[in-house]
Amino acid sequence: MNTYIALVKREILDGKNGYIRVPAILAAITIALVVLSATGLGELNLVEDFDRHEIENIGDALAMAKEREGAELPAAVTVGYWMLSVLTWMAFPFVIFFSLLGSLYEERRDRSILFWKSMPVDDWQEVLVKLFTTVLIAPLIFLAVTIAAQLIIAFFLSIVVLFQGGPVMSLWPLGLMISSWFSAIGHYVIWALWALPALAWVLFVSAYASRLPFMWAILVPVVIIAAEGMFFETYEVARWIAIQLGAWQDFAFQGVHPNIDGPRDVLGLVFGRAQWEAFTYSVTSGRFWFGLVVAAGFVFGAIELRKRAT
Amino acid sequence: MTDTVIEARGLAKTYGDFQALKPSNFSVPLGRILGVIGANGAGKTTMLNAVLGLMSYEGELSVMGCNPSSERGKLMQDVCFIADVATLPKWMKVSEVLDYVEGVHPRFNRDKAMDFLSRTKVPLDRKVRALSKGMTVQVHLAVVMAIDAKLLVLDEPTLGLDIMFRKQFYAALLEEYFDENRTVIVTTHQVEEIEHILSDVMFIKDGEIVLEAEMDELTQQFIEVMVTPGKEEEAQKLGPISKGVTFGKTTCIYKNIDREKLADLGETRRLGLADIFVATMTGEGQ
Repeated sequence: MNTYIALVKREILDGKNGYIRVPAILAAITIALVVLSATGLGELNLVEDFDRHEIENIGDALAMAKEREGAELPAAVTVGYWMLSVLTWMAFPFVIFFSLLGSLYEERRDRSILFWKSMPVDDWQEVLVKLFTTVLIAPLIFLAVTIAAQLIIAFFLSIVVLFQGGPVMSLWPLGLMISSWFSAIGHYVIWALWALPALAWVLFVSAYASRLPFMWAILVPVVIIAAEGMFFETYEVARWIAIQLGAWQDFAFQGVHPNIDGPRDVLGLVFGRAQWEAFTYSVTSGRFWFGLVVAAGFVFGAIELRKRAT
Repeated sequence: MTDTVIEARGLAKTYGDFQALKPSNFSVPLGRILGVIGANGAGKTTMLNAVLGLMSYEGELSVMGCNPSSERGKLMQDVCFIADVATLPKWMKVSEVLDYVEGVHPRFNRDKAMDFLSRTKVPLDRKVRALSKGMTVQVHLAVVMAIDAKLLVLDEPTLGLDIMFRKQFYAALLEEYFDENRTVIVTTHQVEEIEHILSDVMFIKDGEIVLEAEMDELTQQFIEVMVTPGKEEEAQKLGPISKGVTFGKTTCIYKNIDREKLADLGETRRLGLADIFVATMTGEGQ
């Protein structure tokens, strides 16, 4: 167990720019924007209606919302916090891609692989830890940053609303916030399992390429897709990749006919029903399992390549 | 417990048409310091890489009872090595390197490593990237010397270091690390610096082991004579393996000839390992 802790620690240390600095900076920017817009820079006259109802500040807006749509407000606030987290998560696909791409490439380039190999750690352990850290630990760090940012924003807005004399407690739908954080993990895991063949492909390229891993990772699928299009005039490979990377949700949610009327329904759908649908669709889908088999093949290849690498 | 650390039968390595290591048999017992000596590209690193499980090979090879190519992880509990290039991760701080090794290596003694480092000027909070070449090697040596391994392989460990540090390092290796329960394998170009610590020596030429001997025996076999003027013909008859001229006098090197007989020809002296190596490599020494 010690070994795995030390390996994961090393991976985080190695990737701390992408795993920690990037989300922290983006979250800080988001917080700064919220602070700036709430303290006068952006007066709340953006919404036309506001003038008519004598709404002068956030406190008033919140009070009115509570009065009119009290049942919807907690969900609306939770969704609002998540919308403020979008900026942070925009960097995530890039972080994952480049971390995997460098994971087995950089160590060969700077020869540190010979140091790692002088330690009693098997190649399969190294490769799996690298995959695990990037695919599972990195998003948890992103989520931790997101949670911290949401709490900071809620805290800041509370102070503002306190001075303005609005309903402060409305800013703290803690139950919903907490369940949304956990649901985010569930969503992510299903998404990551679908995307695993693509992620494992990048890992494989990282172990294979003697240089220009970026070109290998991108060009090989592009060439295959182009060749298929030219010779067979079909686009099955492109379709398959698209489905694995997210289009599977089209199938998963076919039976879901959302009747969305307000933030509560959105939250209920995203964190409740849709998640269940995604799960049941995935485990009964041949595509899902086929994708995992392909992923296992790439991971196996990466391990074999690392055994031979010096 | 095995007394033989390395056992190789028909160990060979081929890259395409090029035979980097010709089928070789050798065994290395416990409690020795073996110097592997050969020109660049002779196959030293190839042989060591096979022993360390860093590449595939042909033939049979057992290191500490393990198959290096399939059991490297397990093997590295008992084996430690420093490759011939700087391999410490440059993005890590020195203290982080120690943290990592402490985490993954059950036989690493952090106090020992700190003790070695305290005798150097290496700053622990500095990144490896920011260290001088000498300091980087000092960190790496501190790490391996603090690992309680049975076999330590050092491929050109002191390359590019100044003479003071090289002396200190070999002294520490001999006094503080080496004992009868360990084996050390060293390759280096600076043969003179290690010959006094070696117990065994192996010469490699063009992928072939051309000589394997104990140091004591080997140095007794080779004798150089500064031939007294007038005795040149006599000297020639005894079949020197190599001849040269120093200070206007002929010098002859002999292998396996009785020392007293040679003393009649002139002043005799034992050869250093470097000279033995050169004499052997020129072909006539075999």
